[in-house]
Amino acid sequence: MDERAIGKARPPKVLVTKIGFDGHDRGSRIVATFLRDAGMEVVYTGPWQTISGVCNIALQEDVDVIGVSSLAGDHLILPKLMDALRAAGLDHIKVVVGGIVPDTETELLTSAGIARIYHPGATRDEIVDGVAALAAATRRSAAPLEAQP
Amino acid sequence: MSAADARTGAGERSQDGPGPDRVGAKTGAASGLVRGLLRGEPRALARAITAVESDSEEAAGILAAIQPHLGNARIVGITGPPGAGKSTLTDAIITELRRRGKQVVVLAVDPSSPFTGGAILGDRIRMLGHADDEGVFVRSVASRGHLGGLFRNVAGVLQVMDASGPDVIIVETVGAGQSEVEITRFAETKVVVCAPGLGDDVQTMKAGILEIADILVVNKGDQPHAEDTVRQLRGMLHLRDPRLGSAVVVSTTATTGRGVPELVDVLEEPRLEGGAGG
Amino acid sequence: MTELAESNAGLPEGYEGARARWEAEVAGHLGADAPRVNRSGLPVQALYGPDDWDSSRYLEDLGFPGQDPNTRGIHATMHRGRPWSPRMVVGLGTPEDYNKRMRELYALGLTGLFVSPCNSHLRGYDGDQVDRELLGVCGTLIATSEDMERCLDGLPFEKESVSIGDTAPYTLTAMYLKVAKDRGIPWSTLAGTTNQSDYLSHYAALHMFYRLALPGQKRVLLDHIEWMNQHVPKWNPLSVIGQHYQQAGATPAQAMGLTLSAAIQYADDLVARGKEPDAFLPRVSFFFDVSISFFEEVAKFRAGRRIWDRITRERFGAEDPRSRRLRFHTQTSGADLTRQQPLNNIARVTVQAMAGIFGGLQSLHTDSFDEAIATPTVTTARIAVATQNILQHEAHLDDVIDPLGGSYYVESLTNRMEEEILSVIEEIDQLGGMYAAVQTGMVQKMIGASSLDFQEKVECKEQIVVGVNEYTTEGDESEYAPVPERPDPQKIDAYLSRLASFRSHRDQHRVDGALAALAGAFENETENTYGLIVDATEAGATHGEICQTVRDAVGFGEPLIVV
Repeated sequence: MDERAIGKARPPKVLVTKIGFDGHDRGSRIVATFLRDAGMEVVYTGPWQTISGVCNIALQEDVDVIGVSSLAGDHLILPKLMDALRAAGLDHIKVVVGGIVPDTETELLTSAGIARIYHPGATRDEIVDGVAALAAATRRSAAPLEAQP
Repeated sequence: MSAADARTGAGERSQDGPGPDRVGAKTGAASGLVRGLLRGEPRALARAITAVESDSEEAAGILAAIQPHLGNARIVGITGPPGAGKSTLTDAIITELRRRGKQVVVLAVDPSSPFTGGAILGDRIRMLGHADDEGVFVRSVASRGHLGGLFRNVAGVLQVMDASGPDVIIVETVGAGQSEVEITRFAETKVVVCAPGLGDDVQTMKAGILEIADILVVNKGDQPHAEDTVRQLRGMLHLRDPRLGSAVVVSTTATTGRGVPELVDVLEEPRLEGGAGG
Repeated sequence: MTELAESNAGLPEGYEGARARWEAEVAGHLGADAPRVNRSGLPVQALYGPDDWDSSRYLEDLGFPGQDPNTRGIHATMHRGRPWSPRMVVGLGTPEDYNKRMRELYALGLTGLFVSPCNSHLRGYDGDQVDRELLGVCGTLIATSEDMERCLDGLPFEKESVSIGDTAPYTLTAMYLKVAKDRGIPWSTLAGTTNQSDYLSHYAALHMFYRLALPGQKRVLLDHIEWMNQHVPKWNPLSVIGQHYQQAGATPAQAMGLTLSAAIQYADDLVARGKEPDAFLPRVSFFFDVSISFFEEVAKFRAGRRIWDRITRERFGAEDPRSRRLRFHTQTSGADLTRQQPLNNIARVTVQAMAGIFGGLQSLHTDSFDEAIATPTVTTARIAVATQNILQHEAHLDDVIDPLGGSYYVESLTNRMEEEILSVIEEIDQLGGMYAAVQTGMVQKMIGASSLDFQEKVECKEQIVVGVNEYTTEGDESEYAPVPERPDPQKIDAYLSRLASFRSHRDQHRVDGALAALAGAFENETENTYGLIVDATEAGATHGEICQTVRDAVGFGEPLIVV
């Protein structure tokens, strides 16, 4: 199956967001454009989202992947995001991080469940293919349609 | 269709004619979803929208099941040209509705790229404050090649949203192409937002916009010419075909909230009889 | 190929023939030489000569340093008379962390002070209003004038000019004034800059500094400028910022064009308030990015000086020479630096710094080589400062004013950059000025398109980035980059409890009254709100409280973000 076009009925849906206070969004705008050009639907929130806000957005928009753009240490809060997604029953959604993450802090993120870290220099294909594959994985692992208890 | 039919999905089977077990399983899952939806659970609403938006197998069953539960929400369409501050105004309207204790669902529609099929759904940028509010549910949808400007299953999605029990459903669209005209089929109250502008800007506003509007909002009321634009639009509305019903012009400054309570008062008035687009 | 100057009358006998011979030889060797363009999209020839620049126009186009049109420099002596100031952005952790770092840098030869607050502060909050993990990582926590006092403890700031990373409603500047007052330093002697006062660049490019709804931003800035011009006459309350546009992806020509358009807008706003241009223009300063596109940057700055000189004279009728000077601080471009093979960044920063120095800057921040990874350590900051000292003392770059002046290439490029910059200003003018233009999204789209364009060039290797898309190594050599320093959690705790103590020990009644007076000032159009912000700070209101009061009055601003 060509994972880039899961089916015209329902293209991959990706949330591109920033948590915390950094406002540099050159990278996240470019990534959103790459994903759109690859046929995905991108919910773009802009900066200053909160953890609970991101959980709500992911739930309401029924996204396949959450992409967090991070600079300036905002990634340090991501383990808390993973906890919140788990508590909300949303941990089947794959989460990736793009931006500045020092090597000494990648373990903190991967052990918290972040699926992939994209450092500066990642190419368009790396990002698009990676996100498409993760979206497909989310769909495969999503719970069948059912109400919450 | 009877309620019993809705439960069993009779009349809405797939072409393969599923065996009884599969029907039961699908119906069971779908009816669990429908129960959650009717209770207003956000997760169920989100999943139900996904099903109906993308024509999934469960869509027909869900739609059938919710038919008896429709008609409570007021559906408001908000549209307007870029630069009018429409998104900021929508955000301010949501804030005011919440202040009045109303439950709000928002359907934000953006165009898909005709070349790639992808889309940037950017309406949430302006709704920063509401992401943490349990009383606001926002869903962004792409047009997915639908020529009308909205998207194919908008009627079904609006029904699903209605069934979850909100007081108001806001449909927000970009005021380009056909979407602002198509919205007349679904929204009882059509709000068109524009920015102050004398002469050319207002004169060249598409005739279609003036015809469909129930409420014309002149936003950015702090700018010079705002009052002049309000007057000008009132004059133009007088020339409108009387069969379109009456319309109101309101002045707002979305960034400070000025004029928004008055606008919401108009939105909450008893439904307009014989409004535009009927 | 070569552009002909308007008049070839000055070319020597035999010139055309010699050139034709050269062109033929070039065609033979290079064949179909692929055209090269710089970042602003301007073609770059293989050679420039007297037919590319009319040197007889020296006085109209160049002039002498400190004379119209200022192309060669805004002062007569430039760096020869007084070298540029190394002024490094410093911001981290708690006020004590800041103070310690500043003392270390002073010992290494830094002269200018620069205060950079925490990102949570930029959003308008005090440290106790946000998530712990996000505190102090990218800037210093400063919520009260006591915090400011601790930042500046033992530092002779009154002898230096201070640059404060302060955005509307300019609470840090108010705290600075209180600290000066408490130390008995007259405000009339204070020199410095409110270096994030340009809200249009925040609205359109670097959103994290943006706080108030646009009309409120306008009001607060104009009040700040007026008040500071009156009470702190040596202060630059307005710093028009080109850095944000360029870092967000604008080309150098676009960045200069957008910056000058913003400056025109602010000048128009002040004139509309009844101010004389010569009264406020001398205290307008600028803040630019300098990228590694060496000659293009030199030409950008020279063209910018020339254009601003003409705009202030022709559009605003400024007669005072000080009104016509493009005075600017420069920061080397972080976007050019790489995470891979970080030591390479030292070479990059050196080239960027040279471009800025040849471009005639007044002060310079050089990035540390680990900029792409974290805020600098003392060691990496030391190297960045040393870079400037080496360029000054060993390469003697302060010996000659505008040494590239007269270069056929640089003069031709300066002219071409001027055309590009003017076309951007024209486009903004067509939309009614920068304040209107940023609300249409046109500026954001321009920047976005340029950033995508550059990204594509890197992806297809039209633009090589050493260590990233070419000349790569197995690992990223990130072992050369130091482990980022994170604020000590105990120190953050101590800071927060001190803040709580501050709140409980102050005269709450006085604070409430001051904030109420501030809120009330927004109800009329004539009261100067900045004076009341200074009063509120004096009374003990915190940064977050003042921001909230102003936001309640004018609206919580959201920038227009366009993907």
